[in-house]
Formats: sequence, structure tokens, C-alpha cells
Amino acid sequence: MIDELDVFGTYMPAALVWAIIGGILAYITRLALQRLPLERFLWQTGLLDLALFFLFWWGVSALADILLPFVVAH
Amino acid sequence: MNFENFRKTFFSLALLGLALLALYALWLRYEVRPTTRDGKVKADIVQVSPDVGGWVSSVLVRDNQAVKKGDVLLVIDQSRYQLARDEAEENLETQQTSLAQAIRENNRNHNLSTEVDTETIERGQEKVDLLKLAVAQAKTALGVAQLNLDRTVLRAPVNGIVSNMTLQPGDYLTAGHGIMAMVDTDSLRVEGYFEETKIPAVHVGDKAEVRLMGVADPIEGHVESIAAGVVDREREDAPNTLDNVNPSFTWVRLAQRIPVRIAIDHVPDNLPLIVGTTATIDIEPRPGEPSVRRSWPW
Repeated sequence: MIDELDVFGTYMPAALVWAIIGGILAYITRLALQRLPLERFLWQTGLLDLALFFLFWWGVSALADILLPFVVAH
Repeated sequence: MNFENFRKTFFSLALLGLALLALYALWLRYEVRPTTRDGKVKADIVQVSPDVGGWVSSVLVRDNQAVKKGDVLLVIDQSRYQLARDEAEENLETQQTSLAQAIRENNRNHNLSTEVDTETIERGQEKVDLLKLAVAQAKTALGVAQLNLDRTVLRAPVNGIVSNMTLQPGDYLTAGHGIMAMVDTDSLRVEGYFEETKIPAVHVGDKAEVRLMGVADPIEGHVESIAAGVVDREREDAPNTLDNVNPSFTWVRLAQRIPVRIAIDHVPDNLPLIVGTTATIDIEPRPGEPSVRRSWPW
């Protein structure tokens, strides 16, 4: 379990960093899905943004918990 | 139209459900799991101080040197204590000589009891008894003098590392004043401050994973004990006066933090444990242990 990340000497809660990465991923995915006729499938297309963001946040955080302990500086 | 409405409702609810599920997983991971970033490597610190005063005649350890219990740290100038011991020895001999003479006199008095009056015999006996006590006192004084002499050799009270020591031969030490700190390496441990909301999930014996800043491999340990109490900051405890309770601050409240002591089971190779360094602690609850029902965020 990795709970904090060193960003140039400032240790930040890992959750915050994963949220930022999740947000960026959600934004990119949303751009890619722009062409789909979403309004025909959803009452509110914003719901997709919301779900994508939380899913990516959780996904990145779970993946980091599994993979980060194996990443060693040298 | 009706079919499209149904489709829209279905997909909207499905997405909402997914979002809530992910949120729930995140909340479990970051808010419910007993974990803290406020851990510290700790050890008991012994403040080493001499039992007798005097010049430092030799210093046998350097700053940051590891020593075993009983190792000599420094020697205080012994001349005065040596002389005091000699004096006590001589005093003992004096008393013993007086006692021997008193015993001889007393025996003589007893042998001539028909000619010596009772008072003289009693006086002689009293003298013998008093001198026996005086000899015992002189022996005790000699013991004290010897003890003082022995205490001029200052030994390590625990296995540990000498820390913050700048002592040089020639410094003058006063009895009872701390001269250096020793980190008791046998008492090295990690202490984490857990929010009170997470304490119900922490049990003595649970496995703990401790990560020091910048170290990839975790230290393995287990929960040794949980603090029995912390100070109530809303109230000042002064006896015999009225209660001093802070005005209420009801809008935002913060969880108190409770120290939890983690015993270290295994340290990664070559990793030095330095008292005061920051650690992140994750506690792995054991399945099937008696647990407290925890509330949601209320």
C-alpha cells in the first residue's frame, strides 16, 4: 500500500495524485467518445464524465497499490 | 419513443451505479482501512548522568558509537575517591584496634571479677559493644567510599547508541546532571498516530506494514499495544478549582489521534532505523477476530 508520493520534496497523499491522473484519463476518454451519439443513450451525458472519473480514480489507485511496491529506484 | 426512454433510464442508472461503486471502493480504501501517514520510528532515550562528580579523565566512546550494556563510557578522575577510600580503610583499622584493646580490658575485668567492681565491668562491656558498632559503621563507610570509587567508571546502562555527546577529557561533571543521550536500541519500535475513527479496526497482534520515506521495502511488524488515553484538550485539569472547559466549537470537529505501538519483527537488510524518521503504517486486520461494528461517516 502506497499512501504518499514524493513530488519534488513535498510528500502528497497518493489519493490526490491518482485523482489528478484519473481526471486527465477521463477527459481524454471523453474526447475520444465525443463522436458517439451519447444523448440518445443517456438522460445526462455528464453522468458518463462522472462515472469515468471515479472508475479511473479507483482503477489507477488499485493498480498503483498492486504495482508500485515492485517499482524500485535502483 | 417509449423504448428510447427506457434505454436512457437504463444506461443512466447503470452509469450512476458504476460511479457509486467506484466511489465506495475508494472510500473503503482511503477512509476505512486502518492506515496512517503519521508514524514515527521511536526508541527509549536514556539520559546518561554520572553518580559522582569530578574531572573527566578519559572518554572511551565517540559520538554515534554503538555500545553494549556495561561497556565503559568514560572515567572520572579517581584521585579524590581513592583517597577517601584509603581514609575509610584507615578509620576501620583504627576502630578495630580500639575494639581489640577494649575486648582485652573487658576479659581482664571479667577474670578479676572478685576484685573489680560491677560498674567498671559494665562500663567495659559497654565500651566493647559501642566499639563493635563503630567498626560496623566504619565498614559501611568503607563500602560507600568503594562504591563512589567504582562509580567514577561510568558504564552504559543499556545496549544502545551514544548520541549528542561532545564530552572531552577535562570537562567537569556534576553528579546527577545529564551528559549525553543514549538511544536504547533494544526498545526500537514504530509508533503511529491513528485517527480515533480507525482505532476500532486496530487490534493487538494485527500485522503491520511500515514504510519509511524513500525506502521501497516495508518493515514488517505487529501491533503491540494501543494507548489507553490521550489528554482531553477541551478541559484543563486543575485540582480544587472550577472546571475550565473551552467554549463549544460545534461546526467542524477533527478526529483525535491515538498512538499505536508497532513492534518490529523484520527490518530490510542494511536499513538503519533512525529515531524520529517518518513512517507510513498500514494495518492488516486479521480475518475472524472479534470486531467492533463501525459506522459510516457519522
